[in-house]
This record gives sequence, structure tokens and C-alpha cells, in this order.
Amino acid sequence: MSSAVDYVVGRNPEMGPDGTPVPSPIDPFDVPEPELGSSTMLVNIGPQHPATHGVLRLVVELDGETVVSVVPRLGYLHSSFEKLGEYRTWNQIVTLTDRMDYLAPLIYNCAYVMAVEKLMGIEVTDRCRVARVICMEMDRIFSHLLWLGTWSIDVGAFTPFLYAFQQREKVYRLHEALTGARITTSATRIGGMMADLPEGWARGVREFADNLPATLDEVDALLTCNAIHVGRTQGIGAISAEEAVNYGLTGANLRASGVPYDVRKDRPYYDYESYDFEVPIGCHGDCYDRYLVRMEEMRQSIRILHQALDRLPDGPMDVEDPRISLPSKTDCMSDMESMIHHFKLITEGIPAPAEDCWFSIEGSKGELGMYVVGDGGPKPVRWRIRPPSFVNLSAIPRLAEGHLMADLIMINASLDIVLGEIDR
Amino acid sequence: MTREPAPAPSMSGFDLVAAGPREASDPSGTAAARESVPPGNPSVTALRGHFAEAVFRNRICAGDEDVVYVDPERITDILGWLHDDADQHYDHLADVTAVDYGGGRPLEVVYQLWSIPNRAALRVKCELPLDALAIDSVTGIWAGANWLEREVYDLFGVHFNGHPDLRRILMPDNYAEGHPLRKDFPLRGRFSRAEQTRRALTQDPEDYYVPGEIGERTPQVVEGDGGAGADSGAAGGDDV
Amino acid sequence: MGLDKPGLLGSGTPTFLTTRLDFVVNWARRNSLWPMPFGTACCAIEMMASAASDYDLARFGMERMSFSPRQADVLICAGRVPYKLAPVLRRIWDQMMQPKWCISMGACASSGGVFDVYSMVQGIDTIVPVDVYIPGCPPRPEGLIYGLMMVQEKIRGESLANHTALRAEDPLATGRPRAGDEEVSDLTGPFGNSTHQNRVSGLVETDAIGRAEDRLP
Repeated sequence: MSSAVDYVVGRNPEMGPDGTPVPSPIDPFDVPEPELGSSTMLVNIGPQHPATHGVLRLVVELDGETVVSVVPRLGYLHSSFEKLGEYRTWNQIVTLTDRMDYLAPLIYNCAYVMAVEKLMGIEVTDRCRVARVICMEMDRIFSHLLWLGTWSIDVGAFTPFLYAFQQREKVYRLHEALTGARITTSATRIGGMMADLPEGWARGVREFADNLPATLDEVDALLTCNAIHVGRTQGIGAISAEEAVNYGLTGANLRASGVPYDVRKDRPYYDYESYDFEVPIGCHGDCYDRYLVRMEEMRQSIRILHQALDRLPDGPMDVEDPRISLPSKTDCMSDMESMIHHFKLITEGIPAPAEDCWFSIEGSKGELGMYVVGDGGPKPVRWRIRPPSFVNLSAIPRLAEGHLMADLIMINASLDIVLGEIDR
Repeated sequence: MTREPAPAPSMSGFDLVAAGPREASDPSGTAAARESVPPGNPSVTALRGHFAEAVFRNRICAGDEDVVYVDPERITDILGWLHDDADQHYDHLADVTAVDYGGGRPLEVVYQLWSIPNRAALRVKCELPLDALAIDSVTGIWAGANWLEREVYDLFGVHFNGHPDLRRILMPDNYAEGHPLRKDFPLRGRFSRAEQTRRALTQDPEDYYVPGEIGERTPQVVEGDGGAGADSGAAGGDDV
Repeated sequence: MGLDKPGLLGSGTPTFLTTRLDFVVNWARRNSLWPMPFGTACCAIEMMASAASDYDLARFGMERMSFSPRQADVLICAGRVPYKLAPVLRRIWDQMMQPKWCISMGACASSGGVFDVYSMVQGIDTIVPVDVYIPGCPPRPEGLIYGLMMVQEKIRGESLANHTALRAEDPLATGRPRAGDEEVSDLTGPFGNSTHQNRVSGLVETDAIGRAEDRLP
């Protein structure tokens, strides 16, 4: 290799002829980078990679270590929920919803039955409304805790993962007490819940809500002012408010950019307007703000949980309409007519009017919309989910452009995606 | 608390189930009467004023949801106006999807809009006949429509004119069985399970590298074979 | 040298043991299984819960989740596998070194579960050989741990004498489905609820479902 600098053997290379020091010819910063032309490199991440949070695949074009473009490839978990739903009766679909977002199953259960109830014109009981609010806020925390664990693993910290999973185990137990399953809850039915809340369940939720802030404080102390964490997330993947709205971002990703759009406040359902809680917003729209917004959302959810537990009324859980609600098990086993009633309701299903209905709630990942189309029969013509993380992920080519490869991992983590819902 | 009167106490649950489907739940009348409901939503009134000939009809669904049926030819004009007009300001495109009703009925493309400043929702629908499934893309108005339209193309076969990157998104690029969410598509697919398994495994995972899509993205759709076009933008490591 | 040092069991005991080679090899293998977590959906979350503090998979030798197939012993396929993912699963299995075992975790991986649809592999045993099926939707962490212990039991019964036959792999089978066409049709016939629900293809006569390589440890 020929060098542009002439070496003079036997002379002190640090002093020039006039006695002034000259820069070292082997100073690495003086050597120009080799001319590589405009060639870029393709790197494939996934679909089986621990940092993509599922079976997402990112094909990344790199110039050195800088991301030139990202092409996400989806569909590695396409389970055709929407097609399958057209072959199921309205109540059977509930079972499918929690397999779509297995990080916050109760939110999906509730969102789906709320859309169908709106389509059918059913108003659920007061107890059911409050119980569903408790379920949804608990699962918002449940989902954010998993995000917190994987996020901290991506940033290189393993301890918050263990802290988060300890708290998640408590929610697992509450799920189990409510429904018998740890993840796939299927807790809701059209017009009510699968069963009434078990004895002492509300006390368990309150205990969880009481204990969680201590864990959040611990994680706060570990991450929020941690120099590595701050350095890897501040100013990374920033997006302006206008652009975020234009990309259709929702949830914490949109609020981190400073847009206070929260379906619970803007289009309240289940008396959310009567709960006292704040909607945290960021001002930079970068990964760090998304982290702060989610951390604060958990604390606000705890506030809602306390208020909902205080106002949880007594009374029936299911609507008192025999065309919708099943008779009690005792009646079924002792009364012939109730058994026929049960049989007909299960085999024939509940008919829905020939209309369509769009209903969206604030899910843990963003605006979770359900679009249901009925045709007068017991099965939907079309059941469509507006997947928040699908739309959020579509902004990743824009967010990652010009950042380093390692930042792409943090950007992906900050979007809080779940592949079951993206691919459906 | 249901919207319609509570069931008469004399009827048992069995009788009520046997009574069959319920009437539509809207208290204002039957579905036919609702087709001519006067537009109460200011956006609908304004739309009728601006695009009188392109707005076919409107109705109210599920109690309070405004639905407007518009001319598919004018969809970018109408949605662009709804997005840009200072009074409407529908800045959040919540969803783009399609509905196939089966039985030869036209396929509906559904746009669900939301205005963050005005807190108003509007659903815009276009009916496309099954033999001409093409409509203009709205990616120029909302960047978020990109993947949503790709999904509709993948699962329904609706062609979005002017879409920057119209390829299959969920199914494999070379998926040969059709568009799964159409009503004539069987639940288990058209091929036998053995054939599906064989096809799945004979494709090399590395075939999915399409350097062309990273370099120059062509707006043309490559039907069937997604591997084409790799020759244009292959800036790979040959010259290093 | 060495005879004057304290032995394995304290001073005064012999410094050597006699044992069968099979036992030692199997003991080493089964107590340091490194799982390759091929997690796709809900089951993957339960797999994470098994590895986290409450269940602590590391107690049983699965100290290190190996995200590289080259350094893994057990493939845990947790979650549903669509056809689009099938070549990836097969490639990861082919990349794993012998000796290797495979666990099919959950109903979807074992049989397709409720997803008897156009996009879903009806049981990963059509793609790769499976040693242990764990039922459940999703299985609890205890279920996964029990499945891993069944793999350990299976290893305990292996012998180096028939090792070549046990570990034989046909290089030409790389990247191919494990099951032939006929077996795939047998395994994936519609059954139960899904048959009833299918408007299009209607009721289909199904034979008894026999899995050729059903085996117990």
C-alpha cells in the first residue's frame, strides 16, 4: 500500500525542521477512509431474531453502520383471524381476540364485544361497565410491563425485565382467578362477562395496584437517568406531530410527539370522562419520550384502577335479556326449558342487524378499532380489526432513516409492537 | 337498558329465542327509512354542497355513525378536501379496509376518518364492481395509508392506482391461491395441505431478498412473481 | 499424584469413580440443555415467563437461551407457524447440530389448533421431527418445564451403541418436509368444530389420525 506521506527514517517524527510538532503520519484520524464507492450492504434481521419482538423481518440497507433504508417484511404470523371470524358466531369470536394480542388479552376481549354490543344496540349493566374498565386498565399495565422488560433488555439492562415479570406474574394470577387461563382469557361475552368477578378478586387487584408503584420507582431509578439509557434513546427516532398524525400513529407513540389524542378522553366510552386521570404527552417525539409517556401511563392506570374499584357497584353482571344472556348453570341442569334455551342460544347464536359498526378504544398499543358488519344472521359478514401496531410499525422506515444500526433496535422497541396483531 | 323496549315478561327465554332475528335496533325506523335521513352531520352537508354529483347517498349506522357513499372516481378529491378544508380537518385516517358481501354484490372500500381537532368521525365508502377492482390511492394524502392499502390489495385484490409500492404484504410474494378474504376463497385455501406444505418448503427463504425494492421502487405491480425487478437496483457487494 | 488429595466425597475416599459411559454422556447432555426458543405467538410469552424469576428454567439446566441455532440442543417451537414461516423453521432445524431434540409447545404448533385455515401449518411435525408435544393453549410454564423434563427422560434412555442410527440425518432431506404427501393429508384432515364451521368445503370424511412416529420416552 503506497502512502501519501513520506517517512523520514532516523528523524524524530514529532518535530518538524523548524522545531514545531507535526501531526503523526500514522494518526488514525488523519488517514482518509478508503473509497468504497456508493456500495451499500443489505442486512437481514429476523424473522427469528430476539430483537425484533416476534417474527418481524427487517431488511436493512446499510452504508457503513448508518441505516439508509429499512424494508419491513410482514406476514410470518398471518393466522387469518378475519377470515376465520366469518365462520364463527359472534360469541365464538371472543376466543380468537385474545390470541391476537397476547400481551393485553382483556383489552381485545372488551373492544370486540363493545363493538358488537354497539351494533346490536345492547347496553350492558353498570357493574359490567366498571368491571371491564378494571380489566382494561389492568391489562394496559400488563402490556406496558412486558414492553418495559423487552425494552430494557434491548437497551442492555436485564434487571428491569425480572422486576417487570414479577409484577406480571401477579396479573397472571388475577387473570387465572377471573377466567382460569393465564393469557388466553376470553373473559367477555356479548352482554356481559363470562362469569361474575370471583370472591376477593377486587381486593387482589387493589393489592396489585398498591404494590406496583414501588416497582415502577425502582425501574425509574435504574433507567430514567441512566446515562447509557439516555444516550441510546434521546434524539433517536424523532418524529414531528404533523408527521406522526399523517402516518396514523396512535397511542403512546403519537402522544410522545405532543398530540394529546387519547380515545378515552376524545371519544369517551364507559364513563371514562368521569374518571380523574391525566394524559401524559411528550415534546420531542423520540424514543426517550415514548418511554416516559408509557411509564407515566402505567401510573395513571393505577389511578383509574383505584377509582374504578371504589365505585364497583353490586348487581347483575349480564344483561337481563334471554335472547343474549345464557341461563344460569343451575337452571340448565334442573329446568328443561332453560336447557333448551341454552342449547338454542349456543347452537343458533345471537343475530345481529344488517348494519356495520366501527368502534375504537384506547388499547395499550394505540387506537384499537373494531369494524363489524352483520347481515341479520348469527355470524359476521366481515370482522375487521384496526391494528394499532400495524400502522405504528409502518412508520419505521421513516423513523430509522439516517440512524445507526443499533438505534434501529431501540426504535423498534419503542414502538411497542405485537406481531400477532400486526399479521393477524 | 337496551334501546328497544324490554321483553314482555310473559314470554319465556325459549319463546324469545324462537322468535328469530331482532329488528334493526335503531329507534328512528327501519333500514329503508334511514337511507333518506337528512344529513345531520355538518361534514355530510358540506360534502353534498361541494361534491353534489359525487356523493351518492348517506346513512346513519349503529345509532350515531355517519356513512357516506361516494363516487370511486373522485375519491382522492373528496378525501383530499376532507383532509385539507379548514372546517373539516379530518387529519387522522384511522382505517382503510374493504368488505366483500358475496353473491356478486359490489365490493366496498371503507375509509374511516377522524378529526383530532374537531373530534368528529366520518366513514366514507366506495362501491367497486367485482370486474373492475381499482381505485385511486390516498397515500399522497396520508402516509399511513401505504400499508393499509397494501393489505387490502393483498387480501381482496383491489388495485390502488398510484400507490408507490403495491405488493403483497401478509401473504408470500408468490402466493398463487388468490385473495383470501374474498367470499369465494375457501377457508382452507385452494390447494391441498400437502401441496401447500410442499410449496412452502420449496421456496428458499433467501429468495425474499429483493434488492430492487430497496433501490428504485417501481410503481408497477409485478403480478404473481415477486422476485422480478432485482436487476435494477442491485447495489450489492460485487464492486467492493 | 492426586492420590494424596481429598477425593470426590471427602478425604479418605477414592479419587475415581467407575460408571457406564452412556450414563455420563447422557447425564452431561440432559443437564445442560440449551434451548433454541423459536417463539412466535402467545406460547412465546409463556416461554418468557418460564425463563423469568418465578419459574426460573435455569434450575433444570436450561441456563442459557441460545438464540443461535448452532449452539442449541432443543428447539422449542412455541406458537403458531404459518406456511410463510415454515421454511425458516426447517432451516433453523437443519442448522442445529446433533444431538438435537424438538419440542412442539402448544396446540397450534402441535396440530394447528383452532387455526384450520389457509395460511397455517397443521402441526409442525409435518415440517420437522418432534420429540415432545406439550398440550395447552398456551401451556403453563409448569407444562413447558415438564415437557423439557420429558426430553431429559428421553435422553436418559439413549445409548451410544445405537447412536449412529438414532442421529442419522439424510443430507438430501435438508429443507424438505418431514412428512410425505399422504401423511400430511392424514394429519391435516378437518376434524371437530372446524368441520362443522366450514361453509365451503362441507363435511369431509376423516380417517383415524395416526401419527407415524408417536413415541413415549
